[in-house]
Order: sequence, then C-alpha cells, then structure tokens
Amino acid sequence: MKNDIFFRKLQSSFFFLVMLVLSLMVFLPLICILYYVISRGIKAINLDFFTQIPSHVGDSGGGVLNAIMGSFYMVFLSIIIAVPWGLSAGIFLYDAPDDSRFAYLLRLSVDIIQSIPSIVIGIVAYVWFVMPMQKFSALSGSFALAIMMLPMIVRSTEETLRLIPKTLKEASLALGVPHYTTLFKIMIPSGVSGILTGGALSIGRVVGETAPLIFTAFGSPYLVHNILKPMDALPLLIYNCAMSPYESWHTLAWGASLILIFFTLCINLLIKIIVKKWEVVL
Amino acid sequence: MSNKILDIKNLNAFYQNHQILHDVTLNFFSNKATAIMGPSGCGKTTFIRCINRMHELDPKAKVTGEIILHNQNTLDMDSILVRRKIGMVFQRANPFPTMSIYDNVLAGYKLNGIKKSRDEKDEIVQDSLEKAGLWHEVKDFLHRKGTLLSGGQQQRLCIARSLAMKTEILLLDEPTSALDPYATANIEELIEELKKDVTIIIVTHNMSQAARVTDYTAFLYEGKLIEFGETEKLFTVPKHKMTEEYLAGRFG
Amino acid sequence: MLGEKTLKIFVFISAASVLLLLFVFASTLLWKSLPSIRVFGYKFLTGTTWDPISESFSALPFLVGTLVTSFLALLISFPFSLAIGVVLGEYFNTGVWSYFFRSLIELLAGIPSVVYGFWGLSFLVPRVRDLQVKFGVMPYGVGIFTSALVLAIMIIPFSALMLREMIYLVPKKYKEAALALGATRFEMIWKVALPYARSGIFAGFMLALGRAMGETMAVTMVIGNSNDFPRSIFSPGNTMSSLVANEFAEVSDNFYLSTIIQVALLLFLVTIFINIISKYITRKLSVRSSL
Ligand SMILES: Nc1ncnc2c1ncn2[C@@H]1O[C@H](COP(=O)(O)OP(=O)(O)O)[C@@H](O)[C@H]1O
Ligand SMILES: [Mg+2]
Repeated sequence: MKNDIFFRKLQSSFFFLVMLVLSLMVFLPLICILYYVISRGIKAINLDFFTQIPSHVGDSGGGVLNAIMGSFYMVFLSIIIAVPWGLSAGIFLYDAPDDSRFAYLLRLSVDIIQSIPSIVIGIVAYVWFVMPMQKFSALSGSFALAIMMLPMIVRSTEETLRLIPKTLKEASLALGVPHYTTLFKIMIPSGVSGILTGGALSIGRVVGETAPLIFTAFGSPYLVHNILKPMDALPLLIYNCAMSPYESWHTLAWGASLILIFFTLCINLLIKIIVKKWEVVL
Repeated sequence: MSNKILDIKNLNAFYQNHQILHDVTLNFFSNKATAIMGPSGCGKTTFIRCINRMHELDPKAKVTGEIILHNQNTLDMDSILVRRKIGMVFQRANPFPTMSIYDNVLAGYKLNGIKKSRDEKDEIVQDSLEKAGLWHEVKDFLHRKGTLLSGGQQQRLCIARSLAMKTEILLLDEPTSALDPYATANIEELIEELKKDVTIIIVTHNMSQAARVTDYTAFLYEGKLIEFGETEKLFTVPKHKMTEEYLAGRFG
Repeated sequence: MLGEKTLKIFVFISAASVLLLLFVFASTLLWKSLPSIRVFGYKFLTGTTWDPISESFSALPFLVGTLVTSFLALLISFPFSLAIGVVLGEYFNTGVWSYFFRSLIELLAGIPSVVYGFWGLSFLVPRVRDLQVKFGVMPYGVGIFTSALVLAIMIIPFSALMLREMIYLVPKKYKEAALALGATRFEMIWKVALPYARSGIFAGFMLALGRAMGETMAVTMVIGNSNDFPRSIFSPGNTMSSLVANEFAEVSDNFYLSTIIQVALLLFLVTIFINIISKYITRKLSVRSSL
C-alpha cells in the first residue's frame, strides 16, 4: 500500500516533468527563428533601408521604403473599408432579437468568412478587380485584406457591446434619444476599448499576409502612391526576395522580416495599452 | 384636489402571452409625488415603464389602454417625444461613462442633436444641477467623468440629466435601493424640493419612505391596482384588507 | 452626426452586404470553375496527374498533399500543444510566469507565415537534407515532411491556447472532488480534467487543422512545388493552396485559370467544413457551461 502511494506520487511528478519539458520545447523554434531574423536582419537595417527602394539585381544595399509605404497604404485602406462595415454589422448582430434567422445566417457567414483561406480570398479579389480592370492594383489587395479583417471586427464589436450594461442604453432611450443614435453615440463610445482591440488584432492579422496580395497588389520595385497601380508590401517583398537567388535580396528580406515582427509586437503592445488606457469605467 | 396631469385608463401590459398589468386606472396630479407600492414582481417597474413607453422596447411586449397627458393619448404619440417629456431615473444610477458631469447633464440635448449656445448650456447645467442639489458639490470639477462620483451623487446627476430636458413628469424606479441611508435621506429631501417643478412618480419598497415623501400612494398586487388614495389616508385607514396586510408587513 | 434613418439603413445594409459578400464570393468561385467542372466532372478528384501541357488535370495529388501535410503537422504538434495546455491550464494558470509564457506563445502566433517559410527554407531545409542523406532517401530537403514540420510549429499556438482555455475552464468542483478522493494531480488531470474537456480539446485541434489546411506561404516556400503524386512523405509535392499560389503566375489561358479556381473552390469547401465542425462543437460547449 505504501509503495503504491509512493509509485503514484512518482508517476505524478514524472508526468509534470514530461509536460514541462515538452511545453518548454516550443521555445526552441521560437528562439531559432528570432535568432535568424535578428542576426541576419540587423545587417540590413540602416538609414538606406528605410529611405531607399530595392537596388538592382546584384547590387548590394538598397532599402524597402516602397514596401513599407505600400503596406501602410494597403492596411490603411483596408481599415477604411472594413471598420465602418464590420462595426455596423456587429451593431446589427447585437441589436437583433435572439430568434432572428437573419442574425443566425449572418453569424454563420461571419464564421465562414473567417475560415476562408487567405489565398482563396486573393483569387476572388483577382476575379473581381484585377480581371475587369486588367491590371494589378493596391486597391484590389486592400479589398482582399478588408475581407480578412471583417469577421474579427464584426465579432469584437458584437461581443464588446454585449458586455456593456443594458441600463446605459435605457438611460439614453429614456431621454428620448432614438434607437440607432443611442447605439452609435452611447454604446459604441462606451465599448471603445474592446472595439479598438478588435481592430488592432485584425490589423495584426493582415499586416503579415502575403497570399491575398500575390495576385492583387502583385508587388512593385518602385515607390508607388497610386492605389490603382501595382504596389509592394512588406510580406510580398519578403516572399519575392526570399525566393530569389540573390544574397543581397535575402538580406533585405531578413531585414523586412525583422521590422514586420517588430511591428506585430508593437501591435500587441498597443492592444495592452488600449485596454488599459481606453477602458471606459462603467 | 389639484389638477390632473396624467390620466391612466384601463392600462393592460403583456409580455409574450403573460399579462403583467390588468386594467389599471388612476390619475396623477401635478406637482405632487405619488408612490407605487407592492410586493416584488407585482408589476411596479412595468407600470412606470409603460408611462414613458419603455416597456414596448422589447418586441415581445405589448401595451393597451390609454395614458392621457394634456388631452393626448401618449400611446398614440411618437414614443421618442413622450420620453423627452417624461423623464426616468433607474434603480441603479447610470451616468454615461464616456461623458463629463457637464456633458451628462446636457446628454439629452447632445444626443438628440439640439444645438445650444455656450451660455444657454452653462445655464441649463447650473440650473439642473442646483435643482438636483448637486451644484455645490460638483461645480469645481464639472469636466470630470460622471462615473467618478459617489453612488448618491451619481443618482442626483441622473436626476439632473432628466430635469435638463424640462420634463414635466419624473419617474423614479426604486432610486434609493442601492444607496446608503445618508444618500437616501438626501434624495428624499430632494424629492420634496423637486415637486415645485415636476410631478413625481416613485416606485418604492420602503413604506416609511413612501409615507415621508409622497402625497398619494397606489398599491399594486399581482398586476392589479388594489387601492389608490392620499398617502396619509391609505397608510392610516386602508380601505382594502390586502393593503392593510401589506402595510402590516404580512407579505411582500 | 447622421440621422436616425440613415444610421438604421447603414446598419442594415452593412449586415446584409456581409451575407451578400459570402454569397457572391462562393458564386464567383463556382462560376469561374464551371468550365473545368464541365470538362472533368468527378474525374477532377480521381485522376492522378496534373499536366497543363496535355490538359489533363486532377486535383487529387494536391488534396492528398493538403491532407497529409496538415494531419502530419497535427500529429507532430499534438504532444507539445497538449503539454502547453496542461501546464498553462493546470500547473501555472496565473501569475507572472504564466503571463510570460503565454506572451511568448502569442509572439509565435504573430510571426507572419512568410517569415516561417523563409526560416524553413534557410534553416530546416538544409537540415532535413542532411537527414535524408543519412537515411539514403533522395535529398530534396524540401517536401511534404518539411512543410508539415513548419506547419506544426505554426499551429501549436492556436491549439495550445485553446486547450489551455478548455482545461482551465474545467469546473473547480470536479478537480477538487478528484483530489479530495485521494487522486494525485496526474490522476486528476488524466482521469477527470482531460476527459471532461475532451470535446473542447477536439475542437481546438480541429481549429488548428483548419489553419494548417489553409496555410499558404510557408508551405509554398518549402514543399518543393511538384505536381506529381507524392510517393512518400519525404518527396516534394504541392498542397491545394501552394498549387494555387505557385501556378497562378503561370496561367496562360482561361481554361487553365478555371482549373486552378476549381482547386481554390475545393480548398474553400474543405476548410469551411473543418471550421464549421469545430465552431459547432465549441458553441455547444459554451451553451452547456452556461446552463
Ligand atoms: N422584459 C421582460 N421580460 C420578462 N419578464 C418580464 C419583463 N418585463 C416584466 N416581466 C415580468 O413582469 C412581472 C412584473 O415585473 P416588474 O414590473 O419588474 O415587477 P416589480 O418592479 O414590481 O418587481 C414579473 O413577473 C416579470 O417576470
Ligand atoms: Mg422593479
């Protein structure tokens, strides 16, 4: 009997040890990736990296300004498309009665859209924009990214609104404020931290996306400011440079990876700040 | 008797198939305070929510009968206009968390898109806060968030928010049930003052509160109006046996 | 600000247009694949070759490629995800270390897939090649196994964090009841917590599987992009997504485009299927726990 207890305790400790070791093993790839990105990327990073466009094949140096600007333009544009759209669809879901079939279908659609592989979104954006316009454009890329952002914004809006006490809505209605005005002027501002967090998360989701941009924004070695023209983006540049045989372009790709990861980290930090600073005390 | 302001005839309220109020008929008199009393779940909240058309917010709810304000049946009016005339204060204070004290008082104007000059706004804010007995406590930090105030202060801020809309009638749903005795006393004193400007309908659980601050009392039981009359009479010589039992604390 | 009517219309249009978006999206895929569907019919799923020159197209090699890579990735990631879920959900579920650990896992989730692909290409491929030399198989380096390895790393954060949630949410009363009966911590986890959370755990892995199936860039970069039917897990191949990403640039005519879009349609249907199952399970669970 005593032995039995001893054995079971040993087994329990052993289990804990195995679990701990296995879980700590995920740090190996993380450290390895970060080591690669940082040690190689840091070599690319200098003033030129942020102010120049990529140099010609074979020449060393050059920068990724075109991709940084392109990512900025496209993400910005996709926010402009997806946020008002997703926000109001989220309001609709919050507002719909529990037994609404329309709301049920909408929730299902949002789930489905969220699970569409990004490459498929890229294909459809190609069919919708690139084929009729007969050219690649940043606009088509932004639209693809906007579709990817949409579900997250809809969901976070709905969930955030549900957490706000109903009494707030009633207080506004009791002042004779119409229904939708109440939703937009009282409920949305009260949930601003949750909604912004959802927005930031969705930016984090799309900023590193390559697949939807390959056949839409396509990429461009030049600094482009016209959204109807092909445009580069950081993940696209990483892909194109990484698949090229040139060592100098590989260096650029590592550098771009480094700033992309840095940017993702900044977004995570931003989310934590938003939650702290913008939290509306109810 | 003073003049009627609100005349309620055969009010029935439903939620889905369930009838909550049965044929309630009574009057409210201007510049008087009326208590709505009765055991929990008897329909007090539903009753006052019918008066400012909040009950029908839920699509499953229905109201029939007449609620006549200035010769007009409010049930036929635009619910939004009714709500601007009849203010409401809730069980739990609910100042808008995104707004300052100043903006909370003006919320009805801001949210309804009614423009006012700076001077007019200042005047409304000061006037409403004075009437709500809050001015001296908050006049030096009007631009702080309303949610930073104490519970009693928040409740008075909500009263000021309703008063700012120049409402004629103020509905209060157990306004002191979440407050400490000191803040409760403050609100009770305030009600006495408020009667100069508005008609008060207050739901309360607290019999001594009803006795202290109201002129009339309505006693509801299971959605039916059992007895209505001057508070003093109703408390001293109740006509109905059920009222007597309730007042004696035998149920509720 | 906008008037009440405008807001109402805007809200309604936004909601309706999301439905419309999905409808038009699916219709576009179907419509654009019609030429290919008409020609191949069900043979699109039974043949074994994909040859643009002779215009004989079958998506089977890529369907197999997708299934093999993603299930292999799931298999590889399973013990690690489970371990993280148990450690974070049971042993260190609060506190600084837990927060730190979770932040690092979120960091892993935040690395863009193209960076995973680039790292796979630079770090994993040469090492897999060395291994292959040792074992005497064709030393491609790239291939299905390498892709599965990269995918496994990429999906760990998703299944692990979901598992953590599920294990953490097992009601305390069950955990304590087990401990009070004299169970060791291991017995409590193994015989009470994990069985209780099993459908949540299953949903977590389904979610990760859906991710793996739709993943494109990292796979495209390390799978070798061969359109032949894969002979072993070490041979190069293509998944549905990597085929689309890779071949699209070489589209020469509308019919070829249509076959590629049909692959995209297939991918769309498979991932939706997986995701809906996992969402359905999780939603059922949340209903149960709220009762
Ligand atoms: N929106 C609603 N949903 C469900 N039940 C309701 C609703 N409104 C009122 N009721 C029902 O009406 C009855 C009266 O409730 P209420 O007016 O809140 O009583 P009181 O305020 O006197 O405690 C209760 O039985 C309650 O369940
Ligand atoms: Mg009540």
